Amino acid sequence: MDVTAAPAPSQILHPRAAGFTLQPRAVERRVGLLYAGSGLALVLLMGVLGLLMRLTQATVIGLSPAWFYRLLTLHGAGMITGVLLVMMGALWYVLHPAVPLRVGRMLAAYSLVVAGALCALVATLVGGFGAGWTFLPPLPFYPAGQWSTWSESVFFVGNLLVGAGFTVYCFDVLEQTTGRYGGLARTLGWGFLRGREETAPPPQAIAATVVAIDGLLSMAAGTAIVVGLLGRTYDHTVGVDALVAKNLVYFFGHSIANLVIYLAAGAIYVLIPRYAGRPYETSKVFVAGWAGSLVFIATAYSHHLYMDFVQPTWAQVISEVASYGALVPVAVVTIYSMAMLVWGSRYRWTLASLLLYVGLAGWAIGGIGAVIDSLIPINFRFHNTDWVVAHFHTYLILCVVVWCFAFLAHLLERDADRTVPVAGRVWTVGLILVGGYGLTGTWFLAGVLGVPRRYAIQPPGTAGYSLAGAIFALLLAVGFGSLCLQLVPLARAAWERRHYALVAYTEAWTGSRYLLRVSRPAEEPPAAAETTLRAGLPLASPAQLALGVAACVVGLAAFFPPIVEASETSVRYHHLDHAGQFVLGVALGLVLGSLPAVSRRLGERPAAGLTAVIGAPTLMLLVMVPRFYEPLERHPAEHALYHVAMAMLGLVAGAGATRLGRVSGRLAALLAVGMAVMFAAAMQ
Amino acid sequence: MSLHYGEPQVAIGALFAASAVLLAAAFVLIGIEAGSETSVERVQRVGYWLRKRWLAALLALGVVVVGVSLFDLPYGGGGAAGRTLVKVTGGQFFWSLVPDSVAAGARVRFDVTSIDVNHGFGLYDPRGHLIGSVQAMPGYHNTLDLTLDEPGTYRIRCLELCGVNHSTMEATFQVRSR
Repeated sequence: MDVTAAPAPSQILHPRAAGFTLQPRAVERRVGLLYAGSGLALVLLMGVLGLLMRLTQATVIGLSPAWFYRLLTLHGAGMITGVLLVMMGALWYVLHPAVPLRVGRMLAAYSLVVAGALCALVATLVGGFGAGWTFLPPLPFYPAGQWSTWSESVFFVGNLLVGAGFTVYCFDVLEQTTGRYGGLARTLGWGFLRGREETAPPPQAIAATVVAIDGLLSMAAGTAIVVGLLGRTYDHTVGVDALVAKNLVYFFGHSIANLVIYLAAGAIYVLIPRYAGRPYETSKVFVAGWAGSLVFIATAYSHHLYMDFVQPTWAQVISEVASYGALVPVAVVTIYSMAMLVWGSRYRWTLASLLLYVGLAGWAIGGIGAVIDSLIPINFRFHNTDWVVAHFHTYLILCVVVWCFAFLAHLLERDADRTVPVAGRVWTVGLILVGGYGLTGTWFLAGVLGVPRRYAIQPPGTAGYSLAGAIFALLLAVGFGSLCLQLVPLARAAWERRHYALVAYTEAWTGSRYLLRVSRPAEEPPAAAETTLRAGLPLASPAQLALGVAACVVGLAAFFPPIVEASETSVRYHHLDHAGQFVLGVALGLVLGSLPAVSRRLGERPAAGLTAVIGAPTLMLLVMVPRFYEPLERHPAEHALYHVAMAMLGLVAGAGATRLGRVSGRLAALLAVGMAVMFAAAMQ
Repeated sequence: MSLHYGEPQVAIGALFAASAVLLAAAFVLIGIEAGSETSVERVQRVGYWLRKRWLAALLALGVVVVGVSLFDLPYGGGGAAGRTLVKVTGGQFFWSLVPDSVAAGARVRFDVTSIDVNHGFGLYDPRGHLIGSVQAMPGYHNTLDLTLDEPGTYRIRCLELCGVNHSTMEATFQVRSR
């Protein structure tokens, strides 16, 4: 560990934790508080919307279906964004002491995600958009009189912004972890697993790297489909392949919702040991488990397509195996290991540690409901019923949201060096558990009953379940309200303690003793230098460069007149030809940017590189909308120039990728190409 | 017609409830033990011994349940010979079924598609049990094979968010007594 901060004695943490727990730096605290505070504010607001919807289903209040679906859409998008924000901050907070993540990137990611959330607010509340946060194409284009074109666009732009923010975050994590630990295999601990290395990176670094890779894969799919849909909004000649689009939407949507809990896992590997007084270290089982998660997270998404019988059966079976497989690392590594850490540890019970502990149970219980539903014959009778709502709310409310509060409580308790009274935390957590499990319990029962999900008006005979659910939802709201009230004095005490100290003072004349409140001098551990840990160039050896040149030669085929002509037979092939031109540019950019002489001239420029790998492919997808390129095709010179422009955008993306180091650069180039191909597959 | 608990669903629900209660009990026990002092060596010795078995049990369970599930996939295949073809079309916010009735005991092939957005074809039997579902996707035809033995009025409900009137998108399908 290259950390210079000294361990701090604490009344909050386990006494043994002083040996492996560092005092947080101001930047870590501030970033943590910014992300936790903003994210939780959004979560609470979205929770209120959830309560309104449950009360509507119980016919206690009377939201119209139009407003119900607006709120449903906003609730989903806002809640995922809120918990994503908190967990991005939590993982950053625990990873930063070991890996010098960049504050600038984190603030850029924050701005993008918050701007995306604002777009969702405007699109739904003002524009009336109500196609669900998963906006299953082509529903956004069939509004049934409920929303206008601009609100679709704003919602899509919001998704792009959230995706871009998370992409910035993932690239920073991937660049810095692979730079810090020397390549992808070492960062994931695979050398350690194979016995070639004696040590492995800490658990939070491995978890963060897996999240970053899967996050980047899913954000690429999301960008490809969302830009396509954005183009379709203004060009009605564009067709959408509903099956491919659904695959891409769920690869994006399911993954981002799923990754939230894996971000959280990375954080709890550091937080729970602080209360148990036992460090959690990387083991071979841990490395193997996360290698499995890397694959399962990326392949489980298509269980959302089980009832699309035209999806190839092999894909359905892979998804079923992956969905079950995802359970194993969670159950055997994360939850089991945390239970082992806690067992017999004289666990230090505080508000934060209690929330961390009960969150483990929420993940386990919700996970069981999910795994049951992931078996195809069972899903046949549960698909899109309230059972689905039940299981994901169990692990989102009773694990992820609870852990969001745990993270904020941890920050405040450490700063205040005290927790809240026992009675307060027991009552608060008790209310959350009764309200939360009661609420999800009514959904589980409704799922068994076959009640369809997302119904503004519930089927006859099911009002009792909705009413019971609404009562439990109210209890849950009281629980979270009480939790907020517990945090207020803690925040005040934290602020006081950070800024002021009480100093004993004896007056010389009278001999009276006083306690004086004086400003506390800054006791900041020295900040680590913020560096970019670049690990080589994407194409470093002559053989790799030769491979890049070979890719350029193959890419040239996209300009070959017979191939260009043949591609005119269908929109899909036409887009594929454009993708080929983009591939040529990417390969050329990679080769040129990897040449030492050119690389020196380009300089480090990590921010420019990141902007290029996000901006150039997005622009490439936008100009693939027929409305933009068809007028150019009428003139041969303009047509040729358009194709050259596609290659130039690829060149920018490829050259930008070389500024991100070997691992991130290669992945960025691959994803840029993948986006072009996915777009071609989805748009007709 | 109201909804009723289907038998397979009740069995699954009971299995889940039992698992949830067992898990909750385990967490309560671990939470109580968290307050005690046990040496790390002992926790690791027993914990790792148990973890191997826990991993083996989960893998064995996975092989069994996933393996068994592969013999009961709902994906119809093969020819339509001997089956009554029912063409199902979904649209905002209606279902069209042609024909809209069959004789009891008929082996039915529902050919399901959509003219606009994605819908979910959820079939409820006369007692209000959800007996299966398939998606209605624009540009694609999903075929669902079922044998409908019980005479009466079956109800179709939409199981995919399709717009503002999603929750009222219903239709009926008759199975006549022989």
